[in-house]
Amino acid sequence: MKIVQTENLTRIYGSGETAVIALDHVNLSVNEGEFLAVMGPSGCGKSTLLHLIGGLDRPTEGRVLLAGQDLTQLDDDTLTLLRRRKIGFVFQFFNLIPVLTALENVALPLLLDGVPAKEARQRAVEWLERMGLGERLHHRPDQLSAGQQQRVAIARAMVTEPALILADEPTGNLDTRAGDDIANLLRQTVNQWGRTVLMVTHDPRIAAYADRIVFLKDGRIVDETLLTGNGDQQEAQALHERMETLR
Amino acid sequence: MTLYLTLAWRYLSGRKMRTILTTLAIAIGVMILSGLSSLLPTMMQAFRQNMLSAAGEVDITIGHVSGSPFSPSVLEVVRSTEGVARAGGLLRQAVLLPTTETAGLRVNSVTVVGLELEPAHQTRSYPLAEGRWLEPGDADVVVIPASLAEQLGLKVGDAFILPAAEGQIRLRIVGTVHTVALPGAEEVYMPLETAQRELNLKGYINGIEVLVEAGQDREAVKKRLLERLGAGYSTVLPEFGQEFMTSMEIGEKFFQVIGILALIMGGFIIFNTFRTVVAERRYDIGLLRAIGATRRSVLRLILTESLVQGVLGTAAGLAAGYLLAVATLALLRPVARDFLRMELGEPIFSLTNLLTAICMGIGVTIIGGLWPALSAARVTPLDALRPMLIRPEKRVARARTIIGAGLLAVAVVGLVSRNLALSALGLIAFLAGMVLVTPALVNPFAMFLSTALAFLLQREGQLARSNLARQPGRAAITASTVMISIAIVVATASLTTSVYLGLDQYIRASLGSDFLVMPSAMVLSAGNLGAAPELAQSIKETPGVAEVSTLRLGKTVVDGAVLQLVAVDPQTYPKLSGLIFSAGDPATAFEALGRGRAIIVNGVYALQAGVKVGQTLTLQTPEGPQDYQVVGIGVDFLNAKLATGYISHQNLERDFHITSDVLIMVNAQPGADRAAVREALKQRLEDFPNFALFDSEDYRANMMQASQSSFAMLFIIALALVAPSLLGMMNTLAINIIERTREIGLLRAIGSPRRQIRRIIRSESLLLSALGTAFGLIAGVWLGYVLNDALNAGGFPMPFSFPLAGILLAIAAGILLGVAAASLPARQAARMDIVSALRYE
Repeated sequence: MKIVQTENLTRIYGSGETAVIALDHVNLSVNEGEFLAVMGPSGCGKSTLLHLIGGLDRPTEGRVLLAGQDLTQLDDDTLTLLRRRKIGFVFQFFNLIPVLTALENVALPLLLDGVPAKEARQRAVEWLERMGLGERLHHRPDQLSAGQQQRVAIARAMVTEPALILADEPTGNLDTRAGDDIANLLRQTVNQWGRTVLMVTHDPRIAAYADRIVFLKDGRIVDETLLTGNGDQQEAQALHERMETLR
Repeated sequence: MTLYLTLAWRYLSGRKMRTILTTLAIAIGVMILSGLSSLLPTMMQAFRQNMLSAAGEVDITIGHVSGSPFSPSVLEVVRSTEGVARAGGLLRQAVLLPTTETAGLRVNSVTVVGLELEPAHQTRSYPLAEGRWLEPGDADVVVIPASLAEQLGLKVGDAFILPAAEGQIRLRIVGTVHTVALPGAEEVYMPLETAQRELNLKGYINGIEVLVEAGQDREAVKKRLLERLGAGYSTVLPEFGQEFMTSMEIGEKFFQVIGILALIMGGFIIFNTFRTVVAERRYDIGLLRAIGATRRSVLRLILTESLVQGVLGTAAGLAAGYLLAVATLALLRPVARDFLRMELGEPIFSLTNLLTAICMGIGVTIIGGLWPALSAARVTPLDALRPMLIRPEKRVARARTIIGAGLLAVAVVGLVSRNLALSALGLIAFLAGMVLVTPALVNPFAMFLSTALAFLLQREGQLARSNLARQPGRAAITASTVMISIAIVVATASLTTSVYLGLDQYIRASLGSDFLVMPSAMVLSAGNLGAAPELAQSIKETPGVAEVSTLRLGKTVVDGAVLQLVAVDPQTYPKLSGLIFSAGDPATAFEALGRGRAIIVNGVYALQAGVKVGQTLTLQTPEGPQDYQVVGIGVDFLNAKLATGYISHQNLERDFHITSDVLIMVNAQPGADRAAVREALKQRLEDFPNFALFDSEDYRANMMQASQSSFAMLFIIALALVAPSLLGMMNTLAINIIERTREIGLLRAIGSPRRQIRRIIRSESLLLSALGTAFGLIAGVWLGYVLNDALNAGGFPMPFSFPLAGILLAIAAGILLGVAAASLPARQAARMDIVSALRYE
């Protein structure tokens, strides 16, 4: 089953002579339980694609279907509810509210949804323990390492049992080892917890953990490859070479 | 709700200094509103306690609504009313006792109570301590409280000397009683005829005490009595000390205005702070939106924070208000005890006043935070993902500037219209217009000023100017709070100078005679015993005296409102004194006063009751309602604040039975030896110890000096309003520094010494305060003009005085403000760690 489908998805910034086509009639689909990575050079439109699929932005043309629902027809409040319940976000920077503890950050989407505080905390604890952060429940973000902060972000993304996880350069701010940890975790969300993941990355090493890679250039899909999804270094090298040809 | 409270509390406690400063801004306004509004209820309570102690265990007390004495024939009506067991007529009046202290102003007093002595007419029992009670046939005897006897060192058989209308009266103490009374309100009991002689009210009473028959409903009997007696009588004893109460009411309104202004300034500070909070938290807000917080949730979050801030500020303000009330009452207690015979208790906080202060404190905070909250709700999720730059406000909103300019034009029209209402509206339009237009003026003004100050500020001035110009909106809001406080300082200076000059005019006109013979107490109508007309006659016969004129006091009720009456001799009064007229011709008015029932009213009353010359007023008198025609509107110094009507001696005697003089004005003959005349007058007054002789010049000088102290107090209070604007500036500077943390780190990294960083911050602060001060000066002169116009319209003609001293003081205050506000932020900025600053996001 297709979890995500885009039809002629287009996003243009500005107008007239200064108009920039960030995405140009992109048709993409993501299957349920799939780990898809989107790669491309800077300014190719990969983040824009992710924003549109996540309902963070609205397309200039075309539409996005998420679990069969056309996002372009929804008003802001409905879109917000959809983000809260069906999508989990992991960003490169500023994933967490700095004044809340790890536990409170993870429980946040549930509390926004009106889940009773006790149940929200319980579920948050469970996910943080799965992320190996059982000892850091009451730490604030400035008391956690960058890798630990990203784990908390993944736990928050997972706590609402969403259909789709969207990750925008989740390892961009991390060292190699921490980056591998995060990539493995994302892999685990697919294999062990049955989620669908769409990840934007410029790092072929991280992209190698995906099942499929889509390459973007100048707002268009230019290539697509299937992978084993286990972070194979040879596959990563091949991806790197392919990226070089795209620049 | 817990989520929002948790977030609000964490954010507020994460920036402690800013939270404290913002909280203080609200606290100051609430403190003034709640603290000083408790003074009037406390005074009222003390008054009522005085009244209750006078009423004792009697069921009903009846008096004329005007407080004037009336014929004892009314007793027959009362006694024949169903349900009345006993009724006794009495004459009760507070009498100030002269003091032997040379300080001259400390007085004590007693309440003289003249009672009918027939046992059948006794309505109260008096527990004897020593001696005996009054008996039928007694004359010139007195029974006094045991506590008073002890205080004065007297015993049964001793003489008790009281001031009397004929000078002094010597009574023999026949007994002492145990009574409960407030100090200064002790009652001394004498036969009714003795009291009537002492008070120059022969054949009259001014109260009836009633005991209701057992089993009868007291309220029903009261109703019956009032129906039979008519509208001229009531069961509430009229209050004294009205003059002082009026002053307190005026003072309370003034403090309320100051409190509200302080809160408005607090609201500006809240607005500024939350605007910055929203800008700083763009990432957090965007993230919340991304993970599923609706716009409404974000709005709730910011408003919750604003509410928490408001609750904290209001709570702090209420606590500070209580302490302020306690401190103020401690200062007022000796004054009330000495002059008004009142014991002020603990501060009384009425529910209404408390709720008002709470609603205003929290309300202003929420209103201040509303616009930033709405703006936060508009932050999109994408804002969480874009790199943050504090973008300079490149273009000031044109529409706002145009509207502001329009309001300024309206304001000018209002000013030149010379109509009070339009001028006042114009002032509001001016203030609103300045707030809107100021962002557009920040840059040009800062350029002008930094050029002017270049020799002082050199390089730092340039940087400071560009820092302000980057965020003209924030600079404008901060400057607006400075503008308001400076405007109040200047307006207060203008008003106090105008009033001071006006007072001088008033005193010269009202008390223009060579000598004044008047009671020692400050407040003319507060229980002073007048002198019988024989005193004025004997003064007139004194060698060297050319002319004498007297004032007498009474009270009436017109359309349910109390009106003080001052009776004058229309022939002699204009020669020795006069009124400052705002309507009607003086010569015609005084002449009319001498014929028939005519009245001149003062401006306060004319404004309150909407009275014009030619109108007829129906005065409630012991002789029944009487019509008086208004022949002029004028005011004198002694009765300016209280609703007052001036009638002739003849009418006061005929309709109110009052013939005692409370003020005697004396002119010496031209060429007479003033010292000799003074000595002769002093001799005449030896038997009247409650009256003192004043040289009018000395009296004027004393009054002007006393008024200077009041004005100084007003000034201090106005200056207190500078505190919120100081907080506002510190807040803005602190925010500016946080936003420019990396920039400051960079300056330090490339070689700028700490001293230079401090100078940059100080320059910014001086530019901000200069901006606010400049506009505040204009607004202040305008406000002073409008207030002066209001006084004129209110029946207090006053000359407008351009407040040069006030302007200089305001400029000095502005400079001090600029320096003081910068001290802490400048130090903090200079002490920043360079590496942390460069890493700051």
